[in-house]
Amino acid sequence: MTAIVTCRGIVKHYRQGAIDVPALRGIDLEIDAGDFASLAGPSGSGKTTFLNILGGLDRPSSGTVTIDGEEITKLDNNALADLRLKKIGFVFQAYNLIPVLSAVENVEFTLQLMGMDAKERRKRALDVLEQVGLKGLENRRPSKLSGGQQQRVAVARALASRPAIVLADEPTANLDSKTAEDLITLMSDLNQKSGITFLMATHDSRVINRTHRHIVITDGQITSDERRLQPAN
Amino acid sequence: MMKRLRLLLPLAWRNLWRNPRRTLITVLVVSVGLWSILTFAVLLTAWSDSSRDTTLKLMTGEGQIHATGYLDDPTVAHRMAPPSGALRAVLNSAVVTAYVPRVRISAIVQSEYKTLPMTLAGVVPKDERQLSVLPKNIVQGRYLSGPDDPAIVLGRNLAKRLKTRVGKRVVVMAQDASGKLAERAYKIVGLYASNQQTEDEFAFTGIHTAQSFTKIGDDISEIAFDAQNDAVLPKLLDDLKAAATGRDVQSWKTLAPLSYAVSTFFDEFIMMWLWVMFALMAIGIVNTQLMAVFERVREFGLLQALGMRPRLVLYEVALESTLLIGIGVVLGIVLAVVTVHAFPNGLDLGFLGRGAELVGAGRILYPQINVGDFVLYSAIVWVAGVIATLWPARRASKISPVEAMGHA
Repeated sequence: MTAIVTCRGIVKHYRQGAIDVPALRGIDLEIDAGDFASLAGPSGSGKTTFLNILGGLDRPSSGTVTIDGEEITKLDNNALADLRLKKIGFVFQAYNLIPVLSAVENVEFTLQLMGMDAKERRKRALDVLEQVGLKGLENRRPSKLSGGQQQRVAVARALASRPAIVLADEPTANLDSKTAEDLITLMSDLNQKSGITFLMATHDSRVINRTHRHIVITDGQITSDERRLQPAN
Repeated sequence: MMKRLRLLLPLAWRNLWRNPRRTLITVLVVSVGLWSILTFAVLLTAWSDSSRDTTLKLMTGEGQIHATGYLDDPTVAHRMAPPSGALRAVLNSAVVTAYVPRVRISAIVQSEYKTLPMTLAGVVPKDERQLSVLPKNIVQGRYLSGPDDPAIVLGRNLAKRLKTRVGKRVVVMAQDASGKLAERAYKIVGLYASNQQTEDEFAFTGIHTAQSFTKIGDDISEIAFDAQNDAVLPKLLDDLKAAATGRDVQSWKTLAPLSYAVSTFFDEFIMMWLWVMFALMAIGIVNTQLMAVFERVREFGLLQALGMRPRLVLYEVALESTLLIGIGVVLGIVLAVVTVHAFPNGLDLGFLGRGAELVGAGRILYPQINVGDFVLYSAIVWVAGVIATLWPARRASKISPVEAMGHA
């Protein structure tokens, strides 16, 4: 398997006044192409901090992160923005769609940032929306979509740029059971059929049970990294 | 550049209307502010022009030539020969639209009831009509018929103060060329209307009558002239100074300092008003844009998380401001144009009575749109408004995606 993400000795400290608070205490991890992995741990264990560092949204205090062959910890803000644009797809707990854009425009947005031709990006955005089951809802603004539909748009947006990895932070936290199940199935299908790599920070056992790899982080350290040939159920 | 604009323009435009009330308030602040700047500029310019015209079209003209010393001691002792040679050539050139020779002396006028000081002006009536409005402002009787007319035309208020009227006679006393007191009776043939100061000060007779009265031969006291426009005036003054050696050539700015001060004051007042209004607008714009930025911290973080470079976030916010202020500017211009066109026959200051004369304005102001001023003031408001919003825009671009995404 080829490693899409390689982390070596990731340490992150936060300053709270005069106190130095360690968030990550030296994490070594590789995420392979095609992984469908969950990242779990108690609140405050460092899941989100780790995900932010992997996504180039935050910088580690020390250690290196390589994504798709590119070492990102030394990149400046513009280069990091370009890396996020081209290599990383994000799915957030609170959907975080752009409220003034329709579903298809939200998906197109990253493609437009990449400078893709208008016709091509519209076609790709419509294809991806169809793939996540939102055909017919392309022109609705986020406020006219349900939570589940908004999260599907967010997934479509994350996939549209064909990133090396999709990082999802508590993607099902705001969804009801049925919608959450549907979303997990969708992401699992995308992983299996299209080989898209997912790493999801989650507390949700339904997500954890469907992933092929389960990583546990406790007090800023990886305490378990379990690979499963089949999902737990 | 165009790609960026195509990306940011729809986003910026739609963001404007996310909070229509705030957008409309900002548009209102900009448009009312600019409207007040443009309308004030038009009215003050009209007032300034009126003040200038009122003064220059009475007697002053745009410049005058006198014998040296006349302005300090306006008596027949400081007189000069009529224009000839090089001076006459300049006065007859195309840049001079009119010029009039005058005898102008301080005198005493006496009726059966009263004796009052005044200035007797000997004029060439045909020429005077080219430069002054007074020959047209006859309210009773007639104006002078020619340079030999022996009659006198008084100001309406002077006649009232002298308790005299058309058809009666007054006696005028003045110093003649030999320094003796000359005295002569004049028949009043007409009364003219003007501002009170002019009506009280000037009485007119034929130039030859005045020359004969003061025994100065063909000599004159002054030449008043009008130039084609303001732009040619400085060169014309230089040419006249070169042609009229030993004489005192002055522009209206020296001869009518109050009018010049009013004109200059209004120009500066317009600029002062512009900056005061702009400061108020800037506070409103920066305030609303900062609110807009703070409300959308999470969104700016999201845009960066999705791969938008910080500079593009700055451009997006700046573009929103450009559109927002642009709408206000266009509306402000429309409002100002409508306001100015609401007075097609001018703005009648009749309600001020003679009060308007105190600041030198005419009875009717004629507001006119100066396209150059409109463009300049609107551009200043637009550009400066956008610059004022760069601070909130920069704040937006400096937001860290992680902090922003954690922002409630």
